[in-house]
Amino acid sequence: MTAIAGIRTLVVWCPDWPLIAWGVPLDEPAVVTVANRVVATSPAARTEGVAVGQRRREAQGRCPDLAVLDRDVDREARLFEPVAAVLEALTPRIEVSGPGLVGFPTRGPSRFFGGDHAMAAEVMTVVEPVLARRGSVRVGVADGVFAARLAARSRRSRDAPLVIPAGEGAAFLAPLSVGTLEMEELAGVLRRLGITTLGALAALPAADIVGRFGVEGQLAHRLARGEDDVPPDLRRPAPDLAVTWQFEPPADRVESCAFVAKMLADDLHSALGVEGLACTRVAVEAETEDGRTHLRLWRHEGALSAAAIAERTRWQLDGWIRQRSDRPGSGIVRLTLVPDEVVPATGRQLGFWGGRNENVDDVTRVVARLQAMLGPEAVSVPELTGGIGPGERVRLVPAAAVDLGEERLATDPHSVVEPWPGRIPAPSPSRILIDPVAVEVTDHGGQQVGVTGRGEITGAPALVRLASAAGGGASGGELGVSGVHAVEAWAGPWGAEQRWWDPIGHRRCARMQVVLASTDALLLILEQGEWAVEAVY
Amino acid sequence: MARSAALTELHERLAPVTLSRDQLLDVPEPLAPLFPFGGLQKGQTVAFMGPGCWSVALALAGSAMGVDGWMAVVGVEELGLIAAAELGVRLDRVLLVETVPPAQLGQVLAALVEHVGIVAYASQRPLPPRDARRLTARARERSAVLLDLGLGSGRGAGAKSAADLTLATEAEEWAGIGEGHGYLRQRRLTITATGRRASARPRRTTVLLPGPDGAIAVVPSEPQVEISRHEQTAEERPRLQVVR
Repeated sequence: MTAIAGIRTLVVWCPDWPLIAWGVPLDEPAVVTVANRVVATSPAARTEGVAVGQRRREAQGRCPDLAVLDRDVDREARLFEPVAAVLEALTPRIEVSGPGLVGFPTRGPSRFFGGDHAMAAEVMTVVEPVLARRGSVRVGVADGVFAARLAARSRRSRDAPLVIPAGEGAAFLAPLSVGTLEMEELAGVLRRLGITTLGALAALPAADIVGRFGVEGQLAHRLARGEDDVPPDLRRPAPDLAVTWQFEPPADRVESCAFVAKMLADDLHSALGVEGLACTRVAVEAETEDGRTHLRLWRHEGALSAAAIAERTRWQLDGWIRQRSDRPGSGIVRLTLVPDEVVPATGRQLGFWGGRNENVDDVTRVVARLQAMLGPEAVSVPELTGGIGPGERVRLVPAAAVDLGEERLATDPHSVVEPWPGRIPAPSPSRILIDPVAVEVTDHGGQQVGVTGRGEITGAPALVRLASAAGGGASGGELGVSGVHAVEAWAGPWGAEQRWWDPIGHRRCARMQVVLASTDALLLILEQGEWAVEAVY
Repeated sequence: MARSAALTELHERLAPVTLSRDQLLDVPEPLAPLFPFGGLQKGQTVAFMGPGCWSVALALAGSAMGVDGWMAVVGVEELGLIAAAELGVRLDRVLLVETVPPAQLGQVLAALVEHVGIVAYASQRPLPPRDARRLTARARERSAVLLDLGLGSGRGAGAKSAADLTLATEAEEWAGIGEGHGYLRQRRLTITATGRRASARPRRTTVLLPGPDGAIAVVPSEPQVEISRHEQTAEERPRLQVVR
C-alpha cells in the first residue's frame, strides 16, 4: 500500500497563547490553570521548574511569586481573531483549530509567493506585528495537518520557519515520540509494547494495527505515516445542510448572537445526526449590513459536538464584532453555519421507540438547578483515589468542576493501580460512618485488646461493648446496634502507617473485621489506643 | 421547533401503548423472585430496611442503571461508594447531594426525578405526607425509581413508608472469616418483599450478598461443603502403599 501524503499545510502556532491572551509579559512567572491543574506556563515560570500538569499548589511551591490565572477560552479566542484576520489576507481558506493554532493548505498561496519558504517567511512578517512582541510565533510546513503542527512545535522552528520538504513527512515524524499523537491511552499501550516512536508505529502493517487497536489505532497509524487524519476518499462532499439565521434588526452585540449560535448549532447537529454524519470542520459565515461576507473555517480532530460548534461560532462572532464595532454598518444581518467536512458518525444510536434517554444535557440542567437552590458546592460527583481506609478511597469533587458528558478517567476502577499495603480486600462496607463510634474490645480474660508494634493482636477479641445510646450524637443507637455483643468471628489486624514522613499528618492505625453474634459485621479501627467502629458491612 | 413538537406528538400517537409492567428495569437475577413481574417497574418507590439493606439497594441500582442511566444519592453521607462500585454502580454516572436542609428535601428530590432515573435518599424525618404523595406521583410520571434508604442501617425506618415495595433484610451468616483468619467474603441474606397491589403477597428469597465474586449471587442449591485436606476422614484417604 503506498502512502498517500496528506494535503500540504502550513501551521502557525503561537506558544503560550493562554498567557498572552491574559496580557502577561512572558518574562514574569505566570500559569494558567483549569480545575487547579496547570495547563499553560510562561517561559519564566518554566525556568523555575513549573510544568504543565502540576497542581496549582505544587507550582506555587516551586515559584512563590507565581501569578495564577484562570483559563478564559472566550478571551483567548477573541484576541486570536486579529492573528487569523491577517492570515486571511494571504489566503482565503484558513482553518482555526483553536485559540493559538491556525493552519491553511499551501498549494495556491505558496505558488503565489514563490515557494513554501517564501510563504512561511511572509506569514512570519505579517503575524509578528500583530503580536507586537507580546509573544513569539512558530511556523511549520509539511504534508498533512498533523506533521505541519509538529513541525511548528518542533525545537527547530524556534528561529525560522521549519519547512519539511514534500514527501519527507514520514521521515520527519519517524524519530518523534508516540506521545505526540495526544492519545494518552493508546500511547501508553504502545510504549509498553516497545513501540516508542512514530516511525516504529508506521513500520507496522496497517491491517495488524486495525485488528488490534480498532479505529483509534488506524487513525494513529495514518498520522504516523504522514497521511491525513481522514483518508481523502472518505471525505464525502457535505450534503446541503447549511443552516441560516436572519437577524432583524442587525445584531451588533455578542450576547444576542450567542443565543442564535447555540440554536443554529443544535439545528445543524441534529440535521447531521439524521444523515448519520458528524462534522469535523465547520464554516462560520456572516454577512454584515454593508454587504460584506466573512467566512472562517473551524477544524476539530474528533467530531464537533453541538456545544463545540456553538462555542466556536460564538468565539468567531465575538472576534468579528469587537474588531469592527467602530465602523458603521458592521451589524450582522445573516449567520450561516456550513458543515464543510463531514465523516460518518460513530456515536451512539438512540432508542427507536422513545425510551426516554437520560442524556447528559438534562442531567447537567438538573445539576445547575440544584446548585441554584442549595449553593454551587451542593452537588458533587465521586472520583476514585488512592487510599487505605474505605472512606479514603473516594474523593468528592463539585459537579461544577467536571464535564459530566466527558468520560472521566478518575471514576474507572482501573485508574488507581498502586498497591496500598494495609488495604482490606473487597467486598467493601456499604456504610462508612462519618463520626466513628467508640467501642471497647476485650478478650476472653476481660483484657483490652491491643495491637503490638509488630502488628500482632494481643488477644483474641471476645466482646465488643458499644457506647450507650445516651451518648448523644453519633451513638450506638444510630448505628443500629448497641450494648455488649459477643464476637463470633474476627479477622485482622491490618496495620497501616500513613504519611510517616510528615510529623503532622502522620497517622498510624490498625483495622479489624468482626462479626457479632447478631450477625452484624463491623470494621473496627484502632488509633491511639482507642477502638472505634469505622464502617458497617 | 414546530417540527420537533409535531414529531413528539406523532411519537406519542404511534408509540405502542406499554403497560407499566412492560417497562421493567433489569434487576439482578437473584433478586428477581422478589418482584411481582420479575423486574423493577419504572416509577416505583422501594424502601429498604434491615442489616445490609444498603448493599441490596446498591445491587439493585447497579443493575437498574443500565448502560446509560444516572443515579442520584441525596442526604446519605455515609454510603460506601467503593461498595457501590463493587456492586455494579457506575461511579461516573452518580450525583451526590450530601446535605439537604430538611425543608428542601422534597424540592430537591422532585427536581432530580425529572431527569435522573434512580434517586436514592435518606432523611432523619419522613417527608411530609403531601410532599411524599406529590413526589411519588412525579416519579411515576417521569418513570424514575425512588429508593428510600431509611436511616443508617435502616432498622425500624421505612416501616410505615408509603413505598410500593419494602425490602426487609435479615442477615444470616458470614463466610470466609474465622477466628483471626480469612476476611469477610460472603454473606447469606434473606430478603422479604412486602408491598401494595401486585406485591401485596410477601415474597421471600435468600441470596449471597456479597457473593463469591463480590457481586450478588444466588445461593447454591446444595450447600457447598468444602472439606479441606486435613479434615478428610481416614476412609476417604487413599491407603498408603509401600513403594519399593
